[in-house]
Amino acid sequence: MAPTLVNAALGALLAAALLGAAFDRRSVAVVVAAAVVPGADAAASLVVAGATNTLLHTVWLPLAAGGLIYWDTTLRESSRLRERYGWRGVRVSWVALTAFVAAGIAPEAVGDPGANLLYPVDDAYYVIDGLLLFSTQDGVVQTFVSATAEGPGLLPFESLGTTETHAISTWVNPDGRPGLGGGDERVLTLVEAGWQAVVVAAAGASLAVRFRPWSSDSGERTATASASEDPAVSGASE
Amino acid sequence: MVSSLVHAGFALVLAAGLLKRSYDRRALAVVLVVIVLPEADALLGPIMPGAHRTVGHTFVLPAAAGLLLYYDTQIRETSLLRERVADTGVRIAWTAVFVHVFAHVFLDWAHLEGVNALWPLHDGFLRLEGELLWSSVDGLVQTFVEIDVDPESGQRQIDAGSTGTTESVHVNNPVEPDSPEELERAETIDRRFPVAGRGWRLYLLGLGVFTVIARYLQGDPPDEPAA
Repeated sequence: MAPTLVNAALGALLAAALLGAAFDRRSVAVVVAAAVVPGADAAASLVVAGATNTLLHTVWLPLAAGGLIYWDTTLRESSRLRERYGWRGVRVSWVALTAFVAAGIAPEAVGDPGANLLYPVDDAYYVIDGLLLFSTQDGVVQTFVSATAEGPGLLPFESLGTTETHAISTWVNPDGRPGLGGGDERVLTLVEAGWQAVVVAAAGASLAVRFRPWSSDSGERTATASASEDPAVSGASE
Repeated sequence: MVSSLVHAGFALVLAAGLLKRSYDRRALAVVLVVIVLPEADALLGPIMPGAHRTVGHTFVLPAAAGLLLYYDTQIRETSLLRERVADTGVRIAWTAVFVHVFAHVFLDWAHLEGVNALWPLHDGFLRLEGELLWSSVDGLVQTFVEIDVDPESGQRQIDAGSTGTTESVHVNNPVEPDSPEELERAETIDRRFPVAGRGWRLYLLGLGVFTVIARYLQGDPPDEPAA
């Protein structure tokens, strides 16, 4: 699976991009947490066979959560969420849900070892990987979607197997199978490719720029340069 | 090259996070122009060997731009830039530099033969590739920078992913889809314009589109916090 650090970095980028006036330390922490939550199903794989990238990587859970937030905030007469936490609560909920899907689940599905997107309706680890280009000789070439893709599953994407056949190794569960198989080497991957290092660095730099821990919030310079433009930026003005 | 569309997608995510109140169509347009511009070095390829990933993809240019921007807006008594385009313009300028570095140069650094990082100060392509992990057997392991000790001379060799110089490296692109020598021999030239060469690139592209749509659909906060 994509390293948890990368999920967290993508969550942080989404938080900075989408929270708007609700951006502060606490809300960023909530959104980043939502981005790493799907990875927790690796722990469940110690008990349930094939839980990694399955239990919390199905689209049904966020779909239901999204429906619930929509119902509460839009369709109901009075929204419980808005009553309790205000506008800020609604915004943070939506962005956290977005991070769960776009930073937690999606990165797992675009490379090895895949995500069991439709579980339990359909049991298959999908990998949406391939290429899409325009060639002056061959026209449009794409290999992301394939109706004749190998492996089980309903969707027209490559799939690597089912919860029975496809075991995913994580640092929590090195052999990917139920039970505590002792003696195995545990590997916690932080960054597994160059582009992921770039994403992590970009997220770190973005948060640093937004929070500006090096300058005091009362400083005149920050007041003219940034804080005055967006009062919700600095942690002190929450 | 990592497709310009992928650069643009990642750039939109970063820009949305940094522009704050300066976020509008005009600012995004500036960001997109800055993202596409460096690819123009591919056009120099036919007259300057190894120009692509060199002229527009060096770390030196954004470093100089950043220093200039810092000098103008922070050190000088009155900033020329701020006088002309106000704080919004300064914010957009900083965002453009940030996005150019992270969403363009750094992403290309991690792709194919990498980028000519220190050109024109030093001619050498570097490629960022490797992994960082913690293993219960080996401890913390990183393979981005390889440090070898020559067993005979005892000298340390540091390899940060060097792939060659402008003499030896040609990064394929639609203008020159292969090395110039190969192109002379080829009967038909297949120019390939990539959209996304891997799943993660399609992902970054999609993330950018999603971010812009989400920002468009978002409502404004009902009660503006007092400034």
